[in-house]
Amino acid sequence: MRGFLLRLARRLVGALVMIWAVATFTFFLIRMIPGDPVAAQLNMLEQQGMSESQAAARVAGMYGFYPKDPLPIQYLHYMQQMAHLDLGQSISYTGVPVMHIILSALPYTLGLVVTGIILTFIVGVIGGVFAAIYRNTWVGSSITVVGSILHGIPQFMVALLLAYLLATAHPIFPFGAPYDAAISPGITWTFLSNLGLHAVLPIAAFIISGFGFWALAMKASVVTTLGDDFILAAELRGIKPSIRFRYIARNAFLPLFTYLAIAIGYTFGGAIFIEQIFDYPGLGLLQLNSIGVHDYPLMQAAFLMITVAVIVSNIVAEMLYTVIDPRIRTAR
Amino acid sequence: MATQAATRVEQNACSIRGLTVVYRVERHEYAAVQDVDLDIPSGEITAVIGESGSGKTTLAMAMLNAVQPPGRIAAGSVVYPTAGDILRLSGKRLRRLRGDSISMVFQTSQNSLNPLKRIGGQAMDLARSHGRDPRGTLREARDLCAKMSLDADRVLTSYQHELSGGMRQRVGIMLALVLQPEVVLLDEPTTALDVLSQSEVLQILRDLQRERRFSAVLITHDMGVVAELADRVAVMYAGRIVERGRTRDVLIRPDHPYTRALIRSIPRLSGDLSEAVPLPGLPPSLTTIPDHGCVFRARCAYRMPICDTVQPPLESVGPDHDSACYLEGFPSD
Repeated sequence: MRGFLLRLARRLVGALVMIWAVATFTFFLIRMIPGDPVAAQLNMLEQQGMSESQAAARVAGMYGFYPKDPLPIQYLHYMQQMAHLDLGQSISYTGVPVMHIILSALPYTLGLVVTGIILTFIVGVIGGVFAAIYRNTWVGSSITVVGSILHGIPQFMVALLLAYLLATAHPIFPFGAPYDAAISPGITWTFLSNLGLHAVLPIAAFIISGFGFWALAMKASVVTTLGDDFILAAELRGIKPSIRFRYIARNAFLPLFTYLAIAIGYTFGGAIFIEQIFDYPGLGLLQLNSIGVHDYPLMQAAFLMITVAVIVSNIVAEMLYTVIDPRIRTAR
Repeated sequence: MATQAATRVEQNACSIRGLTVVYRVERHEYAAVQDVDLDIPSGEITAVIGESGSGKTTLAMAMLNAVQPPGRIAAGSVVYPTAGDILRLSGKRLRRLRGDSISMVFQTSQNSLNPLKRIGGQAMDLARSHGRDPRGTLREARDLCAKMSLDADRVLTSYQHELSGGMRQRVGIMLALVLQPEVVLLDEPTTALDVLSQSEVLQILRDLQRERRFSAVLITHDMGVVAELADRVAVMYAGRIVERGRTRDVLIRPDHPYTRALIRSIPRLSGDLSEAVPLPGLPPSLTTIPDHGCVFRARCAYRMPICDTVQPPLESVGPDHDSACYLEGFPSD
């Protein structure tokens, strides 16, 4: 347990460093975009009739630094503000703190991505186990073929097809909002089921486009494990089929866990397109919209938040890995 | 006469008759074990010695009815007194026999353990698989560990990667003995170990066998191990048993030219290294074993015309000592 906490602490320090690096990167990115959006904003406000100092104060509220200050001072102010979890104010939603907007979008993305990853993983792994056990029958080969084909179709195509077929051509599932406007949010069955119903299509898009990868990877892993010496040894020791199955499943499952960390990053990336296609108000949609309306503080914050989400999920995946693999647990 | 035969069967922990195992290579089947007859006497250690590819591991696998594809048991029977012919069993009855009344110590015991499960947990899985009391089995495991000078508390709560090679091999022996089987198949139990661990493991095996009197089949390529451990020995060459008998008799008065060559090829501690005479040539591979005539004739110094036509049968050359060779008495050498 002490080792676990120690590793966790080390990971968290690493995460902070990484978040700092990304924040620095976004700061300089915004400063270096051609046409300097900060200066442009300042100009616009001055032209609207503000005095120079008024305009500078407004911009400072948005971005967290005074546009006329030297770059290092700007950076310092920006970082100070960030340390207080203040991400500035939105331009498109005039005066609304960016943090507020981000926090209202974050649960939707997290809901989609976390449910999507877990369900894709479960469906894919089960499919892979069947594909491996029945690899010499039509069941196994059809899982393999379907998996290969699905793996080859781009995620946004799957999402577009689903949106067209099941929301437009045959309006079976709702579209365009996280829940019906008539329903008030709360921990009620009506609300939660409605929320789930609205998430069906985006999550299905994750599952359909991710299934192939997990099924093929799990199949390969199970087939490898079946050939391992200790499985034959267990058979020759007369180990019960149910226990033998557990031996195979756990050992085959382990390498897949490594991919999980990678998949988390991809899934957050995929969320940008999927949220846009289904018009689902998560971080991804927020980011795309903020780019469209040149809302730089919001864009910067959405970018940072997605990075933080990926980093945190990776830590979770890695810490889980140390729990299930004793070889990692004892290794330093 | 009939009563005598009956007592003989009872004394055997296992009787192998006419066992032939074939492997399929490019649409032809080749015999890796050919027409083997062997009795495993109760409470003794019977060694099966042979070079790589002589079919000794295949023989051991056949004794558990566990020949892996592309291999196939083509003929014969492997009869255990209580269970009958194991080659006729399948499914649950076969599974319940493996590991329970007939167990195996693997050559690569290093790889015979589940890497994600503590040793004690694997012993309990074994007990549960055979309807034994897991706690009693754990006690027995603890006892065996102590006898093998392992720290039971540590080993049983360890994962395999926390143990050394020699310790893992001892854990393999523990798992093979923990359900107190009648027959233990030892497939090159010391081959993968360094010399010191080898002699330790041999000592352990000898002590445990003396104490528990299980019947053992010791598969090895090492004449030294045979001399140290085995009560009886069967010499295999190209899938056939060419000589068998009590270890003393076979070592002191070897009859078959192959056995003689094997013994002469061992370097002695005393005396010149050049006194060890290597056996020239290579054993045949699976696909080049001659299908008629003596399998050893290509390397035999005493080859006669008859050797080219018919495989010599195993015939008595002394009390409880058989050999498959036409040569009658050796020219003195």
